[in-house]
Amino acid sequence: MALLEVKHIYKSFGGVKAIQDFSIEAEAGEIHGIIGPNGAGKTTIFNTISGVYPADQGQVFLDGKDITHLEQYKITRLGMGRTFQNIRLFSGLTVEENVMCAFDPQSRYSVLGGLLPTPNRRREEKRGRELCAKYLEAVGMQDYLQERPENLSYGMQRRIEIARALMCEPKILLLDEPAAGLNPTEVAELTELIGRISQQFGFGILLIEHRLELVMNVSHKIHVQNFGETIAVGTPEQVQHDPQVIEAYLGKEE
Amino acid sequence: MSALISNVLTQVFITLIAVAGVYVLTGLTGMFSLGQAAFMAIGAYASGLLVIRAHLPIPLAMLLAVLLATVVGYLIGYPVVRLRRDYISLVTLGFGEAIAALLNRMTTLTGGASGLTGIPRTVGLGVTAVSAVIAIALVASFKTSKYGRQCIALRGDPLAAQAMGINVTRVKMIAFLLSVALTAYSGCLYAFYMSYVDPSGFGWKKSADWVIMVFFGGVNSLTGSTIGAFVLSGLPQVLRSLQNYRYVIYAVLVLIILNFKPSGLLGEWELTPRNVKRLFAGRKKPAEKKQEEV
Amino acid sequence: MSLQILINGIATGSIYALIATGFALIFNVLKFSNFSHGATMTASAFVAYFLLEGAGLGLVPTLLVAAAAGALIALVGEFVGFRRILLNHSSATYFFVSSITLGTLYEGLVTIKAGSNFFNFPRFFSTPTINIGAQVISTSDVVMFCISMVALLILAFIIQKTRLGRALRAISFDRDTAQLMGINSTRIIQLTFVISGVLAGIAGVFLGIKYTLYPTLGSLVVKGFIASVIGGLGSLTGAVIGAVLLGVVETILLSLLGSGYSTIATFAIMLVFLLFRPQGIAGSNVQEKA
Repeated sequence: MALLEVKHIYKSFGGVKAIQDFSIEAEAGEIHGIIGPNGAGKTTIFNTISGVYPADQGQVFLDGKDITHLEQYKITRLGMGRTFQNIRLFSGLTVEENVMCAFDPQSRYSVLGGLLPTPNRRREEKRGRELCAKYLEAVGMQDYLQERPENLSYGMQRRIEIARALMCEPKILLLDEPAAGLNPTEVAELTELIGRISQQFGFGILLIEHRLELVMNVSHKIHVQNFGETIAVGTPEQVQHDPQVIEAYLGKEE
Repeated sequence: MSALISNVLTQVFITLIAVAGVYVLTGLTGMFSLGQAAFMAIGAYASGLLVIRAHLPIPLAMLLAVLLATVVGYLIGYPVVRLRRDYISLVTLGFGEAIAALLNRMTTLTGGASGLTGIPRTVGLGVTAVSAVIAIALVASFKTSKYGRQCIALRGDPLAAQAMGINVTRVKMIAFLLSVALTAYSGCLYAFYMSYVDPSGFGWKKSADWVIMVFFGGVNSLTGSTIGAFVLSGLPQVLRSLQNYRYVIYAVLVLIILNFKPSGLLGEWELTPRNVKRLFAGRKKPAEKKQEEV
Repeated sequence: MSLQILINGIATGSIYALIATGFALIFNVLKFSNFSHGATMTASAFVAYFLLEGAGLGLVPTLLVAAAAGALIALVGEFVGFRRILLNHSSATYFFVSSITLGTLYEGLVTIKAGSNFFNFPRFFSTPTINIGAQVISTSDVVMFCISMVALLILAFIIQKTRLGRALRAISFDRDTAQLMGINSTRIIQLTFVISGVLAGIAGVFLGIKYTLYPTLGSLVVKGFIASVIGGLGSLTGAVIGAVLLGVVETILLSLLGSGYSTIATFAIMLVFLLFRPQGIAGSNVQEKA
């Protein structure tokens, strides 16, 4: 069984069929792009896989475990990290604290340690800060530990969000339009970054993206969604030449 | 020190402990309890009764009273921490009124509306001052721990917090119970300082008062909340003649702050060695952001 | 259960319904709990009491003055407490604090004028009871029930049939979009506060008739909140159903347990209700926005 296995999931909101029969299998080290016009149900796929809401039908397996109906935070702890389309960093916390938040659920000290500086707490906090430094370095943000994210550029915030997702120690990483709002230089940097962290940490990546220069460059496989349905699956080469895709999506771009 | 000043300070310190609890709940976690004073009442009545009726040693009675309040807090919190924030305010408000009704009604046990008398007066300025310092230190430590971070995270964005693996329900519950325990403890001190408690002082207005103190000084700053509590609870004690106007003056002040500087007097500034050094080094303190924790 | 208790319960429930709908209206539109609602009730009832003191006027003028006072107080509250927060798109946290602060302010003002004394409205009814067969029913219960029903019907008409009602529902659904569609949301929100204030004024007078007038009378707003939670937060229909249920259940418990324990019992019922059906009777699902 693959690391992430999504089998025939369906999701409707009222009368709107946001996902119809979506399946995907992803292994460690693979990058899967998911593309499609706005309203094609791409973010809904992420929300369903990561447990924001359960699928109406179908199943999701992570590392052989059925996570279809698990609560979101439990799925995260089993090894799923994600970023959001509209950056959702925590206000009121520094860059370091933001990233630490994703370590905190795994941090092993009790409420007593929350009130008193127990040796246990010191040790765990130290471990957390080290991991934090490691992941912030991986995204090139190690020099901004004490800054507030809201004072940084959009591209930087994207990177911090990725570092925060890395802190979840994911087996599968979901990136929801990481290039949205970035300028071409930043997109190039991001392309490099995604390729690099995929190799360095060896997790599987699902990538929703509109910017084709990014998604076509890094993806091993691409799923094209339209009106909740998958209309094509294949290598970047293949989908670029798929007539249905050109009609539904790429055609509008050219 | 004159008796008046000592009396004022003792009461201020008792309030500071309760407000430290409210800061955890409201400042850190973004939840509002409008029945918080009822937990103070539970602390005061339970510890008082355990000493008068069961002749327990005072520290043990206080411990049991705090435990009792925490258990009650758990029962109240259980259904509501998983729901949106409005519920905890509505439910605690109902709880506060229910406790007040119960205290009035159970006359044989509580003395009803005329109050519970004969509690030994054993707590003074020293104990309350030390307790307040410890309570504030504990809360400060909590704020910088993983729990504090998770509270701040879920306050702003519960969904993103969940996505990072934070068990939002559990963290909210921990924050609620910590605030309940602190408030109940302040109730214990109150009982053994006043030597008399009656149900009238524990209504929603007291809870609202504490929330207002937290916001006055700065909802995102423990330092600010503490100073707010210090000033707002100390002033009316000194200016007794203004007693009736006190709430009106508070309310107007807070409305002005809410409209023109919603982050409170101190914003997010905390009294830490680093921040103090910065202040004296003449560097501008971190820009007052518009600080909208969503 | 005697007919008397049932009628008494329904009458009490209809007052709770006025409170709950006034509260639910604001929740519906602005998505926050308005904790100043209770003090608005008290303040408007007191305004009516002091303005008409000694004039010997009947119930209707008293209600009209209280309704007008409620509308005015709510309007001022909207302006000083909520307008800027709304325009700045600040956190919902500030709505809470603002409403709590306004509540404290109104109650404080009433206390300055009235002290901590109790006041009685003049007797509005020449015959305090009506006999139906063997049953003795209080006249004030019947009158309050009828007036509440009329008020609620008018409210239902406004919400369902008028342009204001449509705009209000649109804003409740999505304020930004409604605004783009040319709805003046500030104006509609003001009108919502006015309606809520009118309901608060009427409810305040009724509570004053039932329990006498005193500055902390507003804490009875908690009944409206409980009704609203049972009914489904934000739902007007749910609020009315929840209120009548609460009124009846509470009156029964009161006759069985006495006042202290019945308060605890109704509170426990609400907790249990939240445990098993947090969306309330009407099933409105208002979780924090994802």
